[in-house]
This record gives sequence, C-alpha cells and structure tokens, in this order.
Amino acid sequence: MTGFSLVVLDVLAVLIVVYLYRVVRGPTVYDRILGLNGISTKAIILLVVIGTVYERVAMFVDISTGYALLNLVGALALAKYLEQRGAL
Amino acid sequence: MEYVGAGLMTVGLLFMVVAAVGMVRLPDVYTRAHAVALTDSLGAVFLLAGLAAQQGFSPNALRILVVLSLLYILNPVIAHATIRAARRSGLRPWTREKP
Amino acid sequence: MNAAHSNTLPLRTLALFVLWLLLSESYTLGHMAIGFAAALSVAFWNSSYLSRSEYQVRWVQAFAYLPWLFGRILASGAHLSYLILHPKLPIDPKMIHHRPRLSSETALVILGNSITLTPGTITLEASSDELVVHAMDDESTMDVVNLRLENKISGLFVRRASRQ
Repeated sequence: MTGFSLVVLDVLAVLIVVYLYRVVRGPTVYDRILGLNGISTKAIILLVVIGTVYERVAMFVDISTGYALLNLVGALALAKYLEQRGAL
Repeated sequence: MEYVGAGLMTVGLLFMVVAAVGMVRLPDVYTRAHAVALTDSLGAVFLLAGLAAQQGFSPNALRILVVLSLLYILNPVIAHATIRAARRSGLRPWTREKP
Repeated sequence: MNAAHSNTLPLRTLALFVLWLLLSESYTLGHMAIGFAAALSVAFWNSSYLSRSEYQVRWVQAFAYLPWLFGRILASGAHLSYLILHPKLPIDPKMIHHRPRLSSETALVILGNSITLTPGTITLEASSDELVVHAMDDESTMDVVNLRLENKISGLFVRRASRQ
C-alpha cells in the first residue's frame, strides 16, 4: 500500500503548485488568502499521509491538528484586519 | 479494508483535482471560494476517511477522524470570513451579462 | 458562572477526559493526572461561553441530520464538479437574500455553517434577520430557497418547558 500512498503524495504536491499559481498571480489579496487556505488544507492531509507511510500516525496527527488550528487563527486575523482596513 | 481505503482516497483525489481546475478557471474571488469549499468539504473528507479505513479499527483511525471533524468545523468559518471581508471592502461579484 | 452551568461541569470534564484517554494511549498515573487536570480546567474556564438557551437539542434528529447533510453535500458537489469541468463554464453566480425563520441563534449558526459546507453556496453575511448567500447557479440555490435545510434544522430543537 506504500506505493499508492506515494502516488497520493505526488498528486497533492502537484495540486499545491496549482494553488501556488493562484497565490502568486491572484488579482486581489482575497484570492491569495483563499489559495493559502487551500494549500494549508492540503498540507494537513499531506502530513497525515506521511504519518501513515512512516507508521508514526500519532505524532503526525498532532502536528497536523496544530497546523489546522494555527491556520484558523491566522486566516481569521487576516480577514478581520483587511475588513477594517478596506480594499487593497 | 485496504482496498476500501484506496478507493475512498481515489475519489477524494478526483475532487481535489476538480477543485484545482476550478481555482484556475473560475473568474473571481467569490466563485473561487466555492472551489476551495469543494476541496474542504468533499476532497479532504474522502481522503482522510480513506486513510482512517486503511488503519482499521485502531486509535490511529480515531485520531484521523478527530482531524477530519476539526477540518469540517473550521474550514467553513475561514471561507466565510475571507468572503465577508471581500464583500465589505466593496469587491463586486462577477455576473454573467444578461442579454 | 451560575448554577445551571456547574450542574453539567462533571459531565463536560468526563467527556474531555475520555477523549484525552483515547487520544493519548498512555495509562500511567502521571499522564492521567495531567489529562484530568487539563480536562477540568478547560471545562471550568469555558463555562461562561455556554449560552443558557430555552431550547433543547433533539439528539435523535441531530444524529440523523449529519448523514442527510452529507448526502446533500455529495449531490451538490457532483453538480459543482460538472459546472467546473464543463468546457463552456455554464455558471451564473448570484446573491440571494434569505430571511430565516429560526428563533434561536444556535440554529442560525448551524444553518449558516451548513450552507457554507454545501458546495455551490456560501454564506456572505449572517444576522438574525437576514442571510446573504452567494450561489453558483439556480440549481445550487434550491436547498436554501425551498426551505428544506431550514425546516430540517428547526426540527432539531424543541422549546424547553419553562421551569425556573
């Protein structure tokens, strides 16, 4: 099953590049935030898949939980800031 | 159980690819938010459920399900906050021109 | 912290402690003591965030609601995938102003969250008298407009018998 996990990892890495295109290119700052949100969702899944490959799920799940929570706080802070500051 | 997991993960990957295509093709930030919501609510669910199924009935599967439910609760909040900020800053949504 | 909240404190502590035991998988005395202390303090310090509402959750309907919602998410996810992959991109985005007839704020939050979770619709603004929803095309708006979601959610709560 490790081979299939590696395929999943590769596909997710390629998809992150696609989102990175939107982050770099995005006409507005909100496109960039959305792209970063999509990338972090994929990073969370990547961490869990890496955990199953190395058979250390417990440790990697803890890391990805922390990543999800930090991502929430960061995205909310950015959204609040931009809402008060107005359009860029 | 292994093959069930692999099947679920394939479905999740398909939704992820569709959402990435949408991220490139769709015209403005409001419609792109729909694509991101698609990855969150369907792609991540199928992928993580597939991973949990590969683990069988074990504490590890439970841990993965905790991450899954966390994503399910938190990601709509992020999408809503981003889009609300875009709207309040006066960004006009893209609409199809009426003939 | 009032009396109603201290009643449920042991229950909330127990729930958090069981979650700790399942996730940590180490049953030495020291770790369990740390877990119990953490569970108790989290349950205690969050008491003030519990709103004391006059509504009660109907648990059977609540557990039936989640699979139903997932079914709706699957159906509209397939529709959104079709829209994105179609060569002509036949989308027709629009805003809907929807006035929910839900009386409790919890139900309103669940409605907004479910709308955002369903692919094809996103809640833009939520206040107690109006929801602004951005939808991808006419078919995606159906669940909001024909009140299916709203009726399901209002069935999850029942007004508590007033006993003070």
